[in-house]
Amino acid sequence: MKYDVVVVGGRISGSIASLYASKQDVNVLMIEKNQEIGTPVQCAGGVTRSFFETLQMKPPQKLICSEIEGAILHAPDGEKFLTKNSLLQGYILERKMLDKALAIKSAEAGTDIMLKAQVKDLIIEKGQVKGVIVRHQGKLLEIPSKIVIGADGVESQVARMAGLHNGHNPQDLISCAQYEMVGLDIDPEILEFYFGFNKAPGGYVWIFPKGENRANVGLGVRYGANSAIYYLNKFISHLKGKIVELNVGGVPIGGPLKKTYSHGVLLTGDAAGHVDPVTGGGMHLSAVCSSLAGKIAAEAVINENLSSSYLSRYEKEWKKRIGKNLQRSLKYRALFDNMDDEELNSLIKFLNTNDFKSLSTLSILKLAREYPKLFLVLKNIL
Amino acid sequence: MIFQADLCGYCGACASVCPLGIIELNGYKIEVLEGCNNCKNCIHICPLGAFQEAKKDEI
Ligand SMILES: Cc1cc2nc3c(=O)[nH]c(=O)nc-3n(C[C@H](O)[C@H](O)[C@H](O)COP(=O)(O)OP(=O)(O)OC[C@H]3O[C@@H](n4cnc5c(N)ncnc54)[C@H](O)[C@@H]3O)c2cc1C
Ligand code: SF4
Ligand code: SF4
Repeated sequence: MKYDVVVVGGRISGSIASLYASKQDVNVLMIEKNQEIGTPVQCAGGVTRSFFETLQMKPPQKLICSEIEGAILHAPDGEKFLTKNSLLQGYILERKMLDKALAIKSAEAGTDIMLKAQVKDLIIEKGQVKGVIVRHQGKLLEIPSKIVIGADGVESQVARMAGLHNGHNPQDLISCAQYEMVGLDIDPEILEFYFGFNKAPGGYVWIFPKGENRANVGLGVRYGANSAIYYLNKFISHLKGKIVELNVGGVPIGGPLKKTYSHGVLLTGDAAGHVDPVTGGGMHLSAVCSSLAGKIAAEAVINENLSSSYLSRYEKEWKKRIGKNLQRSLKYRALFDNMDDEELNSLIKFLNTNDFKSLSTLSILKLAREYPKLFLVLKNIL
Repeated sequence: MIFQADLCGYCGACASVCPLGIIELNGYKIEVLEGCNNCKNCIHICPLGAFQEAKKDEI
């Protein structure tokens, strides 16, 4: 068993990377440690329309639970702000079906898929990664490959084994819990977000509709005195719906890793920190970065140049496409991190009234001086 | 640090914050290898509270 490209991780990033590698004349293996693609789910399924545009795919109707027209932001004091900005418009997808559909597309393009197979180590010769060591069906297998793509998510072992990362600082990870619920009284076209220290310290609550009365109700927390599930149980105690699924996960919101390539290795998706630091959304960035990773890995094989300097074009390319947005988002995250409930109340009041007097709390003015464009930007996005 | 396997939801968040890389998640099984330095990162991050602080005499 020998491959040109081995992709570690078989969900959204792995399936997109392997699909784009297999579109060229190279042989590709995708390795997933679970026995099924896409479970356990760690996602609320929200994507903007750009996701399918990037992948040049028509949104498959069977994956779409609802089409989103806007969002309501709920301030800690209960004030609401409704926005129908086109940037928010998109879909709530059935994430496990999306991951599987992308894996099927990748397999149809030629990718071999190995399930219930855990990558335990990299084969490294003279500093160059030359394959992976996998535990599969009770055996340890050596699988040589010219390039390894780490699409192994937030817990990425490939990033650690390649010396590109040594684990996340807990401050840079948001701890999330989510129930899928039915019997809810919701608007199927509107996302809802709730802010407030008592509801979701260091994060927010989301309600992402999946149809008439069904939704993903979840939250992310940082620096909470209790675990995410505690806050979620508290939040849903006032809802009428019934729980039909539980999902949990950690989202890396500290920005991309300093380096996302090395000799014979590329990192993509959550493994590379390709997640928006404000929203925690990663799928649209996966579409951009993982397709680039697959394409550039295949080109490196075809051009017989697997050096770190050749592979650096991957990082240059993804930075060109999403780098500025990620950096801007990191700044905004730092700004939101400093806001207390009173300031969030003022901000949502401002969005509703357009009245700068509602921004009179001192720290907001201080922050506004630091980021003078923020409020204009918020006005434009929301 | 005490790990209660029956609370785990298999998300890998703990593995991603363990500075020693001693938490291994394989399918629906999680293993905490030897060498914990009691940094508590896993306790802070777990969405389901599966990691808890050990009492002093248990560390
Ligand atoms: C609760 C929650 C809600 C979210 N909601 C949204 C949302 O609405 N919209 C959005 O865009 N993003 C959302 N995100 C973020 C989004 O889910 C991630 O950015 C995205 O899943 C990253 O995909 P990935 O393929 O890079 O990693 P993952 O989905 O984590 O996949 C990694 C895969 O690698 C496998 N793997 C790991 N290690 C190994 C190994 N050693 N060997 C073999 N296989 C391995 C894992 O089993 C897994 O299948 C949410 C995250 C959470 C936790
Ligand atoms: S963070 Fe908690 S739920 Fe997630 S894998 Fe670790 S112990 Fe399990
Ligand atoms: S306490 Fe720290 S070192 Fe010990 S298992 Fe948890 S994260 Fe790892």
